[in-house]
Amino acid sequence: MDLLISLVINGLATGMLIFLLAAGLTLIFGLMDVLNFAHGGLFVWGAYTGVLTYTYTESFIIGILVAILTGVVLGFIMEKLIITPVYGNHVQQILITLGFMLVLQEMIKVAFGPNAIPVKVPELLAGSWELGELIIIKYRIFIIVVGFLVFGIFHFILTRTKIGLIVRAGVMNKEMVQALGINIKKVFLFVFMTGAALAAIGGMLMAPYSGSIYAEMGMEFAILGFIVVVIGGMGSFSGSLLAAILVGLAGSFMAYYVPFLSLAVNMILMAVVLIFRPQGLFRTAKE
Amino acid sequence: MESLLKLHNIQTHIGQFHILQGIQFEAKQGEVSVLLGRNGAGKTTTLKTIMGLTPASSGSIYFQNQQIEKKPTYEIANIGIGYVPEDQGIFAGLTVEENIKVAMRKETQEALERQDYVLTLFPDLKKFWKKAGGNLSGGQKQMLAMARAFVNDSKLLLIDEPSKGLAPIMVEKVMEAILEMKKRTSIVLVEQNFFMASKIGDTFTLIDDGRTVHRGAMNELISDDDLKHKYLGIG
Amino acid sequence: MKTSNLVSKYNILFFIILIVLIAFPFVADSRTLTILLTQIFIFSILAMSYDILLGYTGIVSFGHAMFFGIGAYATAIMLNTFEATIPVFIGSILLGILLSALVSFFVGLLTLRLKSHFFAMLTLAISGLLLVVAEKWRTVTKGNDGFTFRAPDIFKDRIVFYFCVLACLVIVFLLLRRFVQSPLGRVLIAVRENEQRTRSLGFKTLHYKVISSVVAGVVASLAGSLYAVSLRFVNTSVMTIDITLDALLMTIIGGVGTLIGPIVGSVVIEFAQHYLSGLARDFPIFERWIIFFGIIYILAVVFFPKGIVGSIQQALTKWKMKRANNRTFALQKDKERSS
Repeated sequence: MDLLISLVINGLATGMLIFLLAAGLTLIFGLMDVLNFAHGGLFVWGAYTGVLTYTYTESFIIGILVAILTGVVLGFIMEKLIITPVYGNHVQQILITLGFMLVLQEMIKVAFGPNAIPVKVPELLAGSWELGELIIIKYRIFIIVVGFLVFGIFHFILTRTKIGLIVRAGVMNKEMVQALGINIKKVFLFVFMTGAALAAIGGMLMAPYSGSIYAEMGMEFAILGFIVVVIGGMGSFSGSLLAAILVGLAGSFMAYYVPFLSLAVNMILMAVVLIFRPQGLFRTAKE
Repeated sequence: MESLLKLHNIQTHIGQFHILQGIQFEAKQGEVSVLLGRNGAGKTTTLKTIMGLTPASSGSIYFQNQQIEKKPTYEIANIGIGYVPEDQGIFAGLTVEENIKVAMRKETQEALERQDYVLTLFPDLKKFWKKAGGNLSGGQKQMLAMARAFVNDSKLLLIDEPSKGLAPIMVEKVMEAILEMKKRTSIVLVEQNFFMASKIGDTFTLIDDGRTVHRGAMNELISDDDLKHKYLGIG
Repeated sequence: MKTSNLVSKYNILFFIILIVLIAFPFVADSRTLTILLTQIFIFSILAMSYDILLGYTGIVSFGHAMFFGIGAYATAIMLNTFEATIPVFIGSILLGILLSALVSFFVGLLTLRLKSHFFAMLTLAISGLLLVVAEKWRTVTKGNDGFTFRAPDIFKDRIVFYFCVLACLVIVFLLLRRFVQSPLGRVLIAVRENEQRTRSLGFKTLHYKVISSVVAGVVASLAGSLYAVSLRFVNTSVMTIDITLDALLMTIIGGVGTLIGPIVGSVVIEFAQHYLSGLARDFPIFERWIIFFGIIYILAVVFFPKGIVGSIQQALTKWKMKRANNRTFALQKDKERSS
């Protein structure tokens, strides 16, 4: 029983981190029809800038804020320089975002060195609670809480605000939104930058969880992000949460019971979904 | 009547296809100007070109003395041209309320008043206020699409084949609605349904193979069997 | 247009280059250069296979490395298990080709019906999966560490191997050129340009895409087999995304859809890799040379989607048209003057 709870918490925590990455990815795809293969770069840059700020200032919160800033700025640059020039051409998009991912990854090594950097959990969130035989690691609960909080906030924005309404409408029919007088390009930029910020936060939160950061973590997590986006349904925000939890739990349980399959199980899941139900498992009607 | 919209020798290419090969068109204020022609003649493309969705490759478009053929779609919409596409463009996952809300640029007193007006025109919409757009019937979707275009005080509405796929009684309702909206705005109507077009249209422009071939008052066309036969295949 | 002239001009160029390459080992005496050129040939074959997918059919695959890896492992394992003789070597190539054909056929059948985004992600996942299999199946592959093996004795002489690979390159190039110029090849190009339209013309585009995928997979497998022998060593690095990215970079920079482009790209990148790594020893900044390539690649995708060869072709055509125009203009002027 304790084992079960432990695995579940583990899975949920990982799931939340993937969700932060996937949420932006799925909205960007749903709205802009762009599959951002460079999204992982935002994840890793958020981690590095956040962690280094945190190490330097000893303040976790400032680290997170810096990560968000990095995400927003990088997101802006990316949307303007990389995404917009190839808008409409899928092949070029795929190629160019992948290329940029590599550049971002290598730039980490140039800027911060090729070695992994160890990260400590902040004091306030360190340690664990003990409930009898059960040990609950505080930081994991923190991540889960943050994840649900982020989901809640964005769900609110999407369903209760005008801009959220516009984004949802844009996912369903971009042309019509334009015909109703709304400059969809501004909306694109906004969504892209927001998605970037989310990924950056994910990276920053991931750092103390895994204990170290390294340049390749962006690409690795991005693959999980793609899996989640596919399973959850392209463009479905809630779908990405559910799928992320699913993927996180699957990975967590597999890692314990059948370790060599753990990496594979998620890929198999994605392949199966893509082949048999490409619109995703949790997709609500797009049109 | 004042001229509201003028198209001069509009050419539009889609990919390598030369769809519009010289459209001359004029819409006057307070009128229902109908675009007629066979399937594939270029009627829908003309509306899309006006709206900037498939920009013109050459030629000019004037709206109230402003040149608009190079403007982006959202600017054209904001100048006062509303668009009701052939497939209605309803946001299927949004409710009726939300569909209209997206359209309403600012929630001013005026806008809310227009919303009320539009709901009296289309009472069904009020009934299904919280229902998802995708769950509406064909006729209701059409009503919603027109309501959406109307709620923004558009000076000109471009409506593409509103009667398509609707039962005769719904077609009647659509006609009534258009005649009612005509009191407050001007309309460019694309219609295959000649009966409907002849009933509510004031002027007509015949398009064939992407070119304007004939223009005039609607009652002229009604009595001209040759024209009807040659370009519309009827009579 | 005088296409025959153009083609024969190209043919002359090819012959000259070929003669240079054949003469090279006898004239120069550089072991490094021989090895480098051999690598270039091998990667040219890989890049050409990628061009079939990307340049001619318009398919972006992130899993191409798996076919390269299958070929490499097939050869390595067979030469290690049985005697290191030529027949075994050829047998291993055939085995690799067979396996790759099967995998590319089935994977293609299942996934090529998807949109390009999905296909890209799926190939990424599948090749990732195969990489994990290669890592974990230590009994066969020795995992990350890999293993060395003996190559057929005749290949101990680098120059013999050089010629063997060069021969493969020429044959593959000619075969692929035949392939893309055939009616089948034209359908592939049509699919690249506008799949929907091609489908509406009655072609079962899925079938053609699968054929393209199998051809590409088979050629990549050959490259992999040759690669394994060139190193006498194999490990999981043959299945990583780096291999796919190499092929991608070479194809894009060299010029998609030209078949010669990938060869040019291979030359550029292999030479650059070689010299920049050399420089890196003295100037550490060059250690991250891959960033330069990443940036050039991005610029290429946006501004020079035709790559080196394509841009040259374009410039040539423009220049020819301009010359023809000038000539007709001059002729006209003469006519006016004389009348």
